[in-house]
Amino acid sequence: MNGGSSAVADNTAAAAVEPILDVDGVTLQYKTKEHLITATYRVDFKVYPADRFVLLGPSGCGKSTLLKGVAGYMTPVEGAMTLKGKVIKEPGPDRVMVFQEFDQLLPWKTVKQNITFALTNGGKCAKQSEAEDIAMHYINKVKLDRFEDTYPHMLSGGMKQRVAIARGMAMEPDVLLMDEPFAALDALTRLQMQEELLQLWEDTHFTVLFVTHSIEEALIVGSRILVLSPHPGQVKAELNAHQLSHESVGDPAFGELKAKIHNMLFADRILEDDLEGKGQQ
Amino acid sequence: MSSVPQTVVRDEFEAVDLGSASHGDVARKLTIFERIYEMDSVRKFSILLLLMVAWEMYTRVSGVSELILPKFSDTAAALYSAVAGEQLLIMVWNSMTILVTGYAIGLAIATVLTTAATMTRFGSDVLSTLTAMLNPLPAIALLPMALLWFGLGSESIVFTLLHSVIWPVALNAHTGFMGVSETQRMVGRNYSLKGIVYVVKLLIPAAFPSILMGLKIGWAFAWRTLIAAELVFGGSISDTEGEQAGGLGWFVFANQMDMQIPHVFAGLFTVILVGVFVENIIFTNIEMRTVRRWGMQSS
Repeated sequence: MNGGSSAVADNTAAAAVEPILDVDGVTLQYKTKEHLITATYRVDFKVYPADRFVLLGPSGCGKSTLLKGVAGYMTPVEGAMTLKGKVIKEPGPDRVMVFQEFDQLLPWKTVKQNITFALTNGGKCAKQSEAEDIAMHYINKVKLDRFEDTYPHMLSGGMKQRVAIARGMAMEPDVLLMDEPFAALDALTRLQMQEELLQLWEDTHFTVLFVTHSIEEALIVGSRILVLSPHPGQVKAELNAHQLSHESVGDPAFGELKAKIHNMLFADRILEDDLEGKGQQ
Repeated sequence: MSSVPQTVVRDEFEAVDLGSASHGDVARKLTIFERIYEMDSVRKFSILLLLMVAWEMYTRVSGVSELILPKFSDTAAALYSAVAGEQLLIMVWNSMTILVTGYAIGLAIATVLTTAATMTRFGSDVLSTLTAMLNPLPAIALLPMALLWFGLGSESIVFTLLHSVIWPVALNAHTGFMGVSETQRMVGRNYSLKGIVYVVKLLIPAAFPSILMGLKIGWAFAWRTLIAAELVFGGSISDTEGEQAGGLGWFVFANQMDMQIPHVFAGLFTVILVGVFVENIIFTNIEMRTVRRWGMQSS
């Protein structure tokens, strides 16, 4: 049942709204030098328009791999991923990725050029002038006006991530994919960026698929949370968090949900310890 | 009795007014003298000036033979006359023509090798083996064989130049391409870059610090090899290209044979000047406009 998944419009019958992204029984594997690793095992989830869908789990639950699969960098060995009814086969500008690493900005291009580069090469704009207008619009949106002609190495970490978000939003993708975009930032900047992301979302209600390992971030940023277990990643629960934001951090509801997810992830570990203990006897 | 220090609880306080945080000058302009001294070029030029004066003084005071060490003033005069007589400039031009030919062909071959190395495992193995084997061999050591194969002419020099250009350029470019971060590659593919467009718009700029390094090393090797090769047989070019021909290396060698020692020094100076011009002006300028401006290379 996906009854409450359209987070903002609870009263709308979910059946009337088609999901944008459908991940159906997806198993992803990748090779290291010595091992074949199963990152996720038969994962199902559906992302609806205007979702802030969070993939949450401890390290090793395959959440980043799952996002790379949706982006088209990996092909599932089992199951299918469809975007607006079309099977995902390769990377494309209809799913723009915002990475954790700061070097996702091309260092030889200014802030504005980074965005116009995406717009013209991604097939969004044929004309350079049109691309520049769009770029400036989004640069203003992320409050980086006056920095449009600056090269990325002159910017702070938070500013770089804002440019990456602006570049992603400027493409107006079907889904904006965010792979722990704030994980490399200091705690204060991270809080600020979470707030700003929500403000941006308020404007156009774009669809986001957001990966994090922080329960708190998932509750603040997300409208719906997919909890994954590790080794390999399997769906543990799908929860609603659209009622929570920064303002509700101190609320009992926030604490309850946080504790609930914490137990889900933590119970696993106790269980594993138990099993190991029994194995040894 | 526990020896572990305990937390000392003290009163809290909050600053009411921070006042004006002034402690002397926040920013003071440097004096003119300080500013001049801060300029690298000024400091380095004054060292040169000092050397010139020392040289001139030594030759005048010690009475050393003109044939061992000419006066600085004589060398400067020889340089002036050689330049004014246009004979030196023609020789520089001859040298540069051969150098640019060898450099250009070398770059083309290096491009092919790098492409093969970047696209296939076999190509990569070939490149690393050849580089490891041939890089320690000074290019000038190939000249005797080149003379046998191509005869006394600019072809032989171009051949040795190729050897000094190809390996550093191909190796550095290959290393650069391999080092392009996975994130940047994924970003490129996210915006539908494919094939040659992907290489030109993403891989080459991303690997540019390494590529430029290779170009610089290749140039430096080639320039030294060229002068050395011309010292050996530069005169023979005049047989095929007219009286005034021959390169800068030949200018040095021929003047030594004629005991025109100030001209020998003038020739050496020209070698230095051309080298400094290309390495410190042309390449440094490219660096300032690209990798340093982009923050891809510090200092």
